Amino acid sequence: MAVRADLHLHSCVSPCGQLECSPRSVAETARARGIELVALTDHNTALNCPAFAEVCAELGLGAVFGIEITTTEEVHALGLFETVEQALELGRRLWEHLPDIAFDPEKFGDQVYVDADETILGEVERFLLSAVDLGLEDCGRLVQELDGLFVPAHIDRSAYSIWSQLGFLPPFAYDGLEITRPHGPIDTAGFTTITSSDAHFLADIGRRYTVLPGDEPSFRALRSALLTGDTKLSFSPTG
Amino acid sequence: MKIQELETLLDGRWEHETNGETEIAAGFTSDLLSDVMGNAPEDSVLVTIQAHKNTIAVATLAGIVALVICSNRPIPEDMLAAAKQEGVAVLVTQHNQFEATGRIYARLQATREG
Repeated sequence: MAVRADLHLHSCVSPCGQLECSPRSVAETARARGIELVALTDHNTALNCPAFAEVCAELGLGAVFGIEITTTEEVHALGLFETVEQALELGRRLWEHLPDIAFDPEKFGDQVYVDADETILGEVERFLLSAVDLGLEDCGRLVQELDGLFVPAHIDRSAYSIWSQLGFLPPFAYDGLEITRPHGPIDTAGFTTITSSDAHFLADIGRRYTVLPGDEPSFRALRSALLTGDTKLSFSPTG
Repeated sequence: MKIQELETLLDGRWEHETNGETEIAAGFTSDLLSDVMGNAPEDSVLVTIQAHKNTIAVATLAGIVALVICSNRPIPEDMLAAAKQEGVAVLVTQHNQFEATGRIYARLQATREG
């Protein structure tokens, strides 16, 4: 018994995410690849989470709702939540810390949020990849105050990571760390690790995933696996 | 040049002052702290916009004696506390990294030639 989880997925509201990555397409693709628990984690916003919740419920997929925060160090970090409302609340708080830089779809692609039937509901007017003016630890506290899980993203990558931006892991009560390869350049200091696809294109969904114990694809199962350190990491696509 | 010269040179204000007589041997400009850690010379001044606590940690590891925070970026409380604890000087300037670096470079060159 085990749950395959891909906990870092982007949709069409992320500027670098393809327009075809609607919450519906993302969820359907994940399910077709044998993923049972999915988290939607767009850059600095949760505006596609309501549609994602609806679609996942319809498909019988376990869903986690999140945001990939760009901290002031330009480190990417995931905030993961049990409910859509918590993720939206984090989004509202981050908005107050996001620079008011107008978004140019010509240069970066679209930032649209949609409903479960892929109808466009609106466009975010600020550039969502910008860094908020909160440090890594402040972002962590913000996520944990809202009862979420704080997991720095792809900490071993050569851009937007703890490794690339800082070069060391600052002391903090991380709920986990996301890595992209087995023997990366940075010490994970005993924290529980996960791996995820970080898919911005449908083709990449499930290319890496984390296996959780038990048979319940839920936020609670995730929280418990992170606490006990009981995760298995797969760095190759699902069969 | 001495740390205390930075204030006038950069039209800055001290958020944390250390011994102003301390000599600055070199300068380094970067907003990537992993780059700073790997490449900043000892006894240098760091010019950056990275105004957060972890900059102090990196400064300490790299042997940086003073930080110049550019573009009037606000200094968070926990950063200031870390600067005091570690004895790293922190100056805030309205100038950007290019302008601040140019002024410091010219002064360091003049010191060496003089």
